[in-house]
Amino acid sequence: MRRALVIALCTAAVAAAACERSDRPAQDDRAELGSAHGDPVPDTARANPDSAVIAANARLEPGALGSVAAAPVDLWKGPGDQPFEVTVRTGDPASNTSRRFGTIARRTSLRERAADLGQYPCTSCHLGRRMVLADDRVADAHQNITVSHPVQTGGACSTCHSPDNVELLALKSGEQATLDHTYRLCAQCHFSQAESWAAGAHGKRLDGWQGRRVVMGCADCHDPHKPALEPRIPFRAPQIERTRGRGR
Amino acid sequence: MSADEKPAAASDASVFQKRVDRRKALGILLGGVTAGAGVASACSPLSAMPDEEKEAKLLAWREYIKGNYRTMTEEERAETIARLERLAKVKQGTDITIQSTGAQPGVVFGYAFNISKCQGFRNCIEACINENNLDRKAATQYIRIFEMEDGVIDLDHADATFEHEVPAEGHFYLGTQCFQCADPPCVKVCPVGATWQEPDGITVVDYDWCIGCRYCMAACPYWARRFNWSEPVVPREEVNTNQHYLGNRARKAGVVEKCHFCIHRTRKGQLPACAEACPTGARVFGNLLDPNSEIRWVLANKRVFRLKEDLKTEPRFWYFTD
Repeated sequence: MRRALVIALCTAAVAAAACERSDRPAQDDRAELGSAHGDPVPDTARANPDSAVIAANARLEPGALGSVAAAPVDLWKGPGDQPFEVTVRTGDPASNTSRRFGTIARRTSLRERAADLGQYPCTSCHLGRRMVLADDRVADAHQNITVSHPVQTGGACSTCHSPDNVELLALKSGEQATLDHTYRLCAQCHFSQAESWAAGAHGKRLDGWQGRRVVMGCADCHDPHKPALEPRIPFRAPQIERTRGRGR
Repeated sequence: MSADEKPAAASDASVFQKRVDRRKALGILLGGVTAGAGVASACSPLSAMPDEEKEAKLLAWREYIKGNYRTMTEEERAETIARLERLAKVKQGTDITIQSTGAQPGVVFGYAFNISKCQGFRNCIEACINENNLDRKAATQYIRIFEMEDGVIDLDHADATFEHEVPAEGHFYLGTQCFQCADPPCVKVCPVGATWQEPDGITVVDYDWCIGCRYCMAACPYWARRFNWSEPVVPREEVNTNQHYLGNRARKAGVVEKCHFCIHRTRKGQLPACAEACPTGARVFGNLLDPNSEIRWVLANKRVFRLKEDLKTEPRFWYFTD
């Protein structure tokens, strides 16, 4: 059994090296950490962890770990040019809330989208550039939105929202993006954050560390009109003293 | 049980050799008692007990004389897991499942923590308590979030007990937990081999082998280990029934425990509970051996550091900034 696995991994290693990783420099020192202390790491993994891991990851079907509703990310690639996905706005209709976050069952202080959906779909008031709303009610609309961002543009709606169809985002290139793909809009200014986001160093990842990668979109955590997180009282402090050092 | 029968992972089996023999003898004795249950029940004080209590007593007896997890055969592991699951059912009425999932080949776990992002909300701690069945009575927590003034990293004077609204002006937050060191001092000092490093880099504790000497707590430079001064209390309805033998299963009084990177989740490809609960995305988890993993990208592209690197414990837990 074990020998068969080793042979399979060897084959995968050769194939992987031949087709895509031939230009890769030697494995860095950190990879050695795993093989310390005589742990039973397979010989192939010791010799070339890259290929063994790639082979292991390739066996995982997307979505094997959970049920996060997600869409492929446009234009951006993750590390190693792997495609990844972003959570989508349309949630489980049965759950009666705007979305479910996969396997996350506990309160995680994610922004509640239901309030936003009270004014959704936009076509109930906006029809193209025309307003389908009594004049005296126009002033009441969007009272819940305090625009503090982007300050540079004076907070004009049309900086980000397409005037022809407010359910779409207007990009500088003249293209339009859906509300699920807010990162395309945000990345126009916040390109370093977008790079980190695509690589997994910014933004919350869902599902798992292996196989399918799902990341939350910008507007899942940040209110686009007021992006900083709200301060709040933290969860309770530890009661047990540290065994060393001063303080606790 | 001869040395030949033991699994390959039992590298320091010699440490236990004498004790294993004695245990086996005890096991045979007890086996005789349980086999001749009719005789035993007729002439022992057990006969006066209700059936369930009697069963619990016998299970506990059998548990008492089992071996170290590393020296057990797959069969013995399955047996002890079956006993522990049954014990939980008899004693607490909970239907738990205890995994013995092994390490995946070609995987070494690493963690990165973004100190630019953490806001000190402590959602990670809350998730950890729920996920790992931490003692509610003693309010055990594996994770600490330190609040420090901008520009200075001084853990000795840092405050982990802040109760005010966060983030506080001019401060940053740095979380610690077990760093799963590649050269763990806690493992070296254990006199009985009750704690060891697994192939995927997770340092685990066999709660049924730990003698509670707390040497490991003294040896850990990162205050990562916790001692159970009393029997841990978890309300029945709050018990996480997805458990691992080396992870979040029930502990007892007088043993040491610590963060195990949610071994019951991560070995099946899921993120640890703390990473999944963080509302700021400050926590990055992944496979250090996978060149395409998020953690490897952070290590290659961000400014990273580790705590007390001069101690050469090689923590697999990095801090980084945006």
